[in-house]
Amino acid sequence: MLELRRVSKHFSGIPAVDDVSFSALPGQVTGYLGPNGSGKSTTIKMITALIEMTSGQIFFDGKLIDDDLVSYKRRMGYVPEEPHLYNHLSGAEYLTMVADLRGLAPRLAGERIDGMLRLLSLYDDRHAGIAGYSKGMRQKILIAAALMHNPDLVLLDEPFSGLDVGSALVLRSLITELALRGKIVLFSSHELDTVERISNRVVILHHGKVVADDSIERLRTLMELPTLEAIFSQLAVEHDTDSMARQLADLIHA
Amino acid sequence: MLKLFVRLFDRWTQRLPLQLRVLHRQFLLRVVDLEALSIEADIPSYLGQFAGILIMLSLCHAFGLMFFPPPFAETWGYEQARLADMQLVIGLCSVLMWDTTFPDKRDAMVLGPLPLLPRMILFAKMAASASVLGIAILALNFASSGAMSIVFGLSSNGFFRFFFAWWFTLIATSAFLYGAVLAIQGFGALLLSRRMFLRMSAVLQLAAFAAILAGRFLQPWLNTFSELTNPGYHALLGWSPTFWFFALFNHINGTLPRELQWVANRAWLALGLVLIGSVSSLALCYLRTMKNTVEQPDLDPAASSIGSLPRLGNSLQSAIALFCFRSITRSRQHRVALAFYWSIVFAIALSMARDTLASGPEPVSLGLIMPTTIMMSFAVVGLRGVFSLPVSLKANWMLRITQLRPTADYIAATRRSLQLFGVLPIVLVAAALALHFRPLPHAFEHVGFLAIFGCILVELSLIRFDKVPFTCSFIPGKTNVQVIFWGAAFVFLILGLLFGAYELQSLQNLRQYLALMASCMTLASSLWIFNRIHARTATLYYEEVLPEVITRLGITLLPPASLTEPPPASSTR
Repeated sequence: MLELRRVSKHFSGIPAVDDVSFSALPGQVTGYLGPNGSGKSTTIKMITALIEMTSGQIFFDGKLIDDDLVSYKRRMGYVPEEPHLYNHLSGAEYLTMVADLRGLAPRLAGERIDGMLRLLSLYDDRHAGIAGYSKGMRQKILIAAALMHNPDLVLLDEPFSGLDVGSALVLRSLITELALRGKIVLFSSHELDTVERISNRVVILHHGKVVADDSIERLRTLMELPTLEAIFSQLAVEHDTDSMARQLADLIHA
Repeated sequence: MLKLFVRLFDRWTQRLPLQLRVLHRQFLLRVVDLEALSIEADIPSYLGQFAGILIMLSLCHAFGLMFFPPPFAETWGYEQARLADMQLVIGLCSVLMWDTTFPDKRDAMVLGPLPLLPRMILFAKMAASASVLGIAILALNFASSGAMSIVFGLSSNGFFRFFFAWWFTLIATSAFLYGAVLAIQGFGALLLSRRMFLRMSAVLQLAAFAAILAGRFLQPWLNTFSELTNPGYHALLGWSPTFWFFALFNHINGTLPRELQWVANRAWLALGLVLIGSVSSLALCYLRTMKNTVEQPDLDPAASSIGSLPRLGNSLQSAIALFCFRSITRSRQHRVALAFYWSIVFAIALSMARDTLASGPEPVSLGLIMPTTIMMSFAVVGLRGVFSLPVSLKANWMLRITQLRPTADYIAATRRSLQLFGVLPIVLVAAALALHFRPLPHAFEHVGFLAIFGCILVELSLIRFDKVPFTCSFIPGKTNVQVIFWGAAFVFLILGLLFGAYELQSLQNLRQYLALMASCMTLASSLWIFNRIHARTATLYYEEVLPEVITRLGITLLPPASLTEPPPASSTR
């Protein structure tokens, strides 16, 4: 189980994540939602230990992740929000480098990389430089790099970004499949429809604070709202969206 | 005077179109790759330090010339050397700015949708390049040109004529070199497919770099009229731009012998051809290839790659070493930076090989020891320097996520990379050169010493280098380029000469040689142990951070008594 206890992160004294607590269970898909700037990616970066917490604790399988960071990283896979990759490498070279850094046996790594590249429709372009890859292709490389070592904890930050419809459907099924195989899956997304379909529960963040943490069914019942979009709008959207759109149009016409 | 000049210059620039000024500023900043710099980097300070080196050189030349003028018979040789220095600096600047004048995909995508004429982009880019070249020309010649005009001009056709002729020649030779680089690229871009051009461009850039360095360091100076008119040197005069522009200078100065008029004519011809070629190819590139650049497919299909590279140690060492190899070979910035050091290595190796082929076997001497030792130093120091320049900082998250082993293993992997790509090639080249020297055992004893010396340099390079090559941000201002440049030159010269003489002596005496090797191995092992112990507690870092600066306000704490006591009567007036 992944558990966050009163986790906070301040940048120059300003709270980006404020006293966040929740847990993600094996076999479940946990959706992590919030508007832009609500602190989703910051939270996920703290879970990956890419940035340090200002306060709080993160536990994985009952142990503080900082106690044995190496063992924790060995069991974690992460797809970041932005597809930052080493552009001077080819797709195959990048994945081989990641496999080497993770200490996978060369033969096993070779088989997995080939298989993933084929399944993700990247095999024909495996020797082309990543600099020439489209956003979707880069996203697929990130997904392959995150999963090739069969992690127990899968952290996905906007994983559908840039994917075509077919690939997005495959990833949606893959997330469900990973959870069925006992993995802990935590993913953030703005695609509420997808989150509603595949998440067992959701955590909604607003201004760095958790404003909802429950299964979607219970949230629907509690808030007497029909969809996740309606729940999200009530909890995390402050403005009248139609009015805002009108004001923008007026501004450029003035 | 300076303030007036700056005010006039500012007033003049304000009259230029706003678009041109904005673009010029952007392109000028891009001469330095911003991604290579930390967010706290100070680009003007960085460029200022390099300008400072050139100014220092100019002052050294000027003072040297004023106080120790060369004999009259060596005047021409001196002028040739200064011209060659100028060509070296301008040539290197031109090569370093290799891609900056031509439209790239980023320009096409960002500036294309804006209401800008292609010629505005072209002018702004050319102005940015000209600014950098102008700074280099001024910095390198502001003092030495005056001193030369006084020392040589007054003894020939007067100060002003010499001064004018010299500056005209400097500007002409700079325009020639920069124009030649542009023309090569421009015609390449026009004639080749974009994919082929991008591949060839890298090779051409390195070739130009090597040619410029080799031209400066391997070219002889011809001091006398008889040498200059010697038919044996006609080929050199006919092909060397240094001599073309040397003749052009003397032609304008009125000191050119009639027999060398054809060399000066060649300078005019070359300058005209290069200017026409560069301007026409640039114009065509902006008119034709800018749209093509956008239309090029994003993905270049690649049928194969060198996928089955050998394992270079354990999986981590292999990953880091291959990452280093690919970064050096594929990143333009790193390739050029390393080429700067390695060109010196190759220039020395080529000159040694040329001498070797010209004569029979020689006894082992400083002629083998010094060049190979300098080659090893430049190779390792250069590689270590290039390792400090990042490739893609934002992609470093992957290395941080996958750090499953202690920092010591990463430092060991960096050591392996330095040994593989820095020490090993030089040992192999030195071994090949050693075949020419006799007795062979002594020559190969030196190669053995060289390998240990390389290992010492590697360990020295790893001190406090707690990072993965190419992954840490870089603060140019943190490294005092001037101190390092002059310090390294001094250390290399003095220590190299001392150790070279001692090693040569040791090669004649087996016991002394073994003692030398044992000492060096002990030093290498000690440094290895030192680095190993340090690595146990070290943490890999990915961002250079400037030390916090405490600003002193200059407030002095007065003793309380002085505040309470009335001032002495004498001070009240």
